[in-house]
Amino acid sequence: MDKSQSIPRWLPRRESFLGQVLHRFFKHKLAVAGLGILVLLGLVSILAPVLTPYGYDQQNVALMGQPRSPSSQHWMGTDELGRDSFTRVLYGARVSLRVGLLSALVATLLGTLVGALAGFYGHWVDPLLMRFTDVMLSIPLLPLVILLSGILHPSVALLVGIIGGLGWMSTARIVRGQFLKLRSAEYVEAIRALGGSNNRIMFRHILPNTVGPIVVATTLSVGNAILLESALSFLGLGVQPPTPTWGNLLNAAQGWLSQAPWLALFPGLFILITVLAINFLGDGLRDALDPRL
Amino acid sequence: MSVRFVFLRVLGILPLLLGVSLILFAVLHLAPGGPLDVYADNPSVSQEALREMKVALGLDKPLPIQYLAWVGAFMRGQWGYSYRTGDPVVQDIASRIPATLALGGTAFLLSLLIAIPLGILSAVRRYSALDHAVTFTSFLGISMPVFWLALMLQLLFAVYLHWLPSAGMVTIGDGSLVDRLKHLALPASILAVASVAGWSRYVRSSMTDILSQDFVRTARAKGLSERIVIYRHALRNALIPVITVVALDFATILSGAVITETIFAWPGMGRLFIDSMNGRDYPVLMGLMMLGSFALVLTNFLTDLIYALVDPRISYG
Amino acid sequence: MGILMQYRPMGGLLVGALILLGGISLAQEKGGTLTVALGYDIDTLNVYSTGYLGDVQAAVAEGLLAPDAKAQYVPVLATEVPTLKNGGIKLTDGGQKMVITYHLRPGVKWSDGQPFTCDDVTFTWEAVKNPKFIAESKDGTEDVDHIECPNSQTAVVYYKHVAPDFASTLFTFGILPKHTLEGKDLNTDSYNQKPLGTGPFVVSDWAKGQYVITKRNPLYWRKDASGQQLPYLDSIIFKIIPDANTAVTQLKSGEVQMAYNVPYSQVESLKQVAGLKILKNRILSWQHLDFNFRNPVLQDINVRKAIAYAINKEAISKALGGFPEAIDSVVLPVFPFYNPNLPKYTYDPAKAKQLLDAAGYTLGSDGIRAKGGKRLSFKIMSQSGRTNDEVAQQVIIANLKDIGIEAMPDNKAGVAFREARYKGNYDLFYSGWITSADPNYCVFFCSDGPNNGQGYSNPKLDTILKQAQNTIDPDKRKELLFQFQDILANDAVSLPITTNPSIIAVTDKLQNFVPNPTNMTNFVDTSRWWLKR
Repeated sequence: MDKSQSIPRWLPRRESFLGQVLHRFFKHKLAVAGLGILVLLGLVSILAPVLTPYGYDQQNVALMGQPRSPSSQHWMGTDELGRDSFTRVLYGARVSLRVGLLSALVATLLGTLVGALAGFYGHWVDPLLMRFTDVMLSIPLLPLVILLSGILHPSVALLVGIIGGLGWMSTARIVRGQFLKLRSAEYVEAIRALGGSNNRIMFRHILPNTVGPIVVATTLSVGNAILLESALSFLGLGVQPPTPTWGNLLNAAQGWLSQAPWLALFPGLFILITVLAINFLGDGLRDALDPRL
Repeated sequence: MSVRFVFLRVLGILPLLLGVSLILFAVLHLAPGGPLDVYADNPSVSQEALREMKVALGLDKPLPIQYLAWVGAFMRGQWGYSYRTGDPVVQDIASRIPATLALGGTAFLLSLLIAIPLGILSAVRRYSALDHAVTFTSFLGISMPVFWLALMLQLLFAVYLHWLPSAGMVTIGDGSLVDRLKHLALPASILAVASVAGWSRYVRSSMTDILSQDFVRTARAKGLSERIVIYRHALRNALIPVITVVALDFATILSGAVITETIFAWPGMGRLFIDSMNGRDYPVLMGLMMLGSFALVLTNFLTDLIYALVDPRISYG
Repeated sequence: MGILMQYRPMGGLLVGALILLGGISLAQEKGGTLTVALGYDIDTLNVYSTGYLGDVQAAVAEGLLAPDAKAQYVPVLATEVPTLKNGGIKLTDGGQKMVITYHLRPGVKWSDGQPFTCDDVTFTWEAVKNPKFIAESKDGTEDVDHIECPNSQTAVVYYKHVAPDFASTLFTFGILPKHTLEGKDLNTDSYNQKPLGTGPFVVSDWAKGQYVITKRNPLYWRKDASGQQLPYLDSIIFKIIPDANTAVTQLKSGEVQMAYNVPYSQVESLKQVAGLKILKNRILSWQHLDFNFRNPVLQDINVRKAIAYAINKEAISKALGGFPEAIDSVVLPVFPFYNPNLPKYTYDPAKAKQLLDAAGYTLGSDGIRAKGGKRLSFKIMSQSGRTNDEVAQQVIIANLKDIGIEAMPDNKAGVAFREARYKGNYDLFYSGWITSADPNYCVFFCSDGPNNGQGYSNPKLDTILKQAQNTIDPDKRKELLFQFQDILANDAVSLPITTNPSIIAVTDKLQNFVPNPTNMTNFVDTSRWWLKR
């Protein structure tokens, strides 16, 4: 059977660039599955209020004192405060995904900005920014994130700032590399000769050509940010309950590990599946956007 | 590679470390609250004592002076004194290095021993069932929350099966090699999971690249056996790009075992880090972070050297 | 039992033999090592400067007196507890000052062989009082005017005023050895690593971050009834395991034989473990919700009372496995001066809402009440990492949400937590205090109380508590402390929530161990502990 048969018909024709990219992407079955899972997770977390009759912090005094095992009313059981675990995992997805997406976005914006400035202007800007990048890359990431969280007791917004603010360096390097390569490319020289402004050249003409690597890096850093958030929450330094995140759900489940393993199982599995889906997606995007790798 | 190259590279390290220390110092000292604030409202500690303490710790001076004093202490090699224990920072940190090295080193070796063969097998038998299995497992490995895995394995091996001790570095009063290895088994394996997953992917892709290159094809065309092609020609070249990743991960393993050390009550630097953070023990935190940075910078430098050694095209300046 | 039934014909003889055998097997056996899990990393082994309660210290250093399992003081390095009745306490200056005479136990030696004398008592006071010494607690040092040593075995302590809580401070924490510490800097001396004491155990090895090994003190003064020298145990090892769940894992795998402050959630699973017994230690500790009086909204007594009525203490108790019990006074019911007739804030959300309505706080569209644009939104702090507290905190947050008050968790650990607690860097604060057998409530509620982070100041309360502090007559004290509890409850200053029992899991082989409810820890009387083989 011809492999191209499995490519949806509605795709743009494979002759166009986008068509080629999508074509390659849809060949990567795991990546497609990853994308599907992520879309589903996103939908489920947005629709959480519709999908569950309980509030994420709604306690049930009658069920307090002991987690209850999964049942028809409580698909993932309840915790020791009688809260519905399914509801908390769903709402946890909101926070975890938000932290993941936003901090990846912050990192990408910062990284693109630094990389573009350094790569485009060169002169003294480049060495200055790149030495700063080197310095930031020379500080062990996890301890620094832990340190900042420990000092600042972060809210969700601050957490995004910390994780994103410390994760821009590799993007900056990638973008800078692309800019260095493209700065002297013929078509850029041509635009310059035609009187294009620096900003215009940078953002309209060079940046679009660096999108591939940036998209891949961003995707992968969403997964890393989710893992980082869960690790921080596990140490008690992340978002504090009753607001659920997958990380602080795991932290709370720790004490019930032997009696109520399902409390740890579900958030753990959700982290695993989400990050796995993101990594597959990233892998697929890499293949699709940069066929040389 | 010339002496000049090495010299220039070494010279580049100093401003880097200086920059790192400046950022760390700023982060620590611009944070709200100081280490002595806790005493401020305690009537057991008189104002006079508080002042003396500030003077003794140098906290009465403006920040830039404090920073210079810290740099001086760092250069002289005692790195200041711990606020919590009163010991020289170097001494407090040094007492934790063996534990961290034992854990990180074991995890590192374990990762290498598993990741490289897996990666080669994967590359050589590309698109086989084995390759798919390895790929999928390594994706699992990098997507796994480490502490979750740690808790699950601790539960399984220490509580249910009683095969391994659940935490600590030695059975007190034992300390034989077997006993130490048993204590190492769980935390080291868990630390190794992420590395194995990442590295085997790198080895695979690097190996795949090399196997498709002309010189390998030539070697094959010359009629050399597949084994010789792979191990004599391809592997050596394939491992060079892997070195960077592996070396950087080694530095991270050394500084970043915070979570694993917490779960397994491992008395290494990660634990000291958490305790110092809770105690706002700035000099120790500075020392630990600087050590981590130094490890990163040093491994970067060494990989550059290795690169320059194996690839004469690389030069400097 | 089965054996007895089978051999019944042999009657009395066998029964006698069995009793004899039983007697032998129950006789204390010398030797053995007990491994204990400690939930914190020890900072220093000096009992005066540590930021924790001194578990290890209690097995090594001794005071003149110590609280027993019933929180009653018993003599240790003194031969009797001084009282008015036995003449150990004398009031002077018309009842304004007091003099306490301790008769010191003869023949007691420091573990290095030097004799323990009155000079050590004097030195301890001087050393702890020294402003250069940075101590976590200097309680009691300022009460003492001077100390006289008429002979080496008698210490006469002259107090500046009457201090009925004398037994819970200085000379109970531990006596410092003059002969090794005189002229030394206590902030940095090696005593902090290897304390020298008169106690049953001696620190033989401290691997930082890992464990402290204590070994039998061969020169220990105490003997059992049969004249055998104590302690029975060869060694107690304190293993540092900061993660409570790891400690439970180690209990289950048998790597430690004792742990205290076991999370309530783990009790059920530990009950299944053969060879472990679970004890509930009713420690002298209470959980409380504090208001910050610097916050103008919380200065409104109606808001405070509304919060008091909103909190479901029974639910908190239930959520914590039923171990903590709801309370209505910060004075625990075990104390003779506990006031049972206080106004009670029984869970009544309707009444809470009424109070807030009356105070002018109306419900906004976001479900939070507000008055003049000022929302009832507070930061509520508890100690992060203390699972029990965090669970209770979440019940409180839900309770407050029900009446239209938003409470956002702002939990902290370590120095940041302690600083916020003492400086009042919170709006609401949920935590617990543990006290000595003779609590001094002025520390918590007087305007100048060092533990008063709430910023509460009530001159009337100050007078009553200061008076109680200077009253040694138990009836008079009781009356004053009743008044104090009345004011505290009526003013809704700090809401007592529950007791705070500490769950101890310990090997059933350990004999003679009785939990100690005071801040002198479970290890204050280790010399009689022994392990059944």
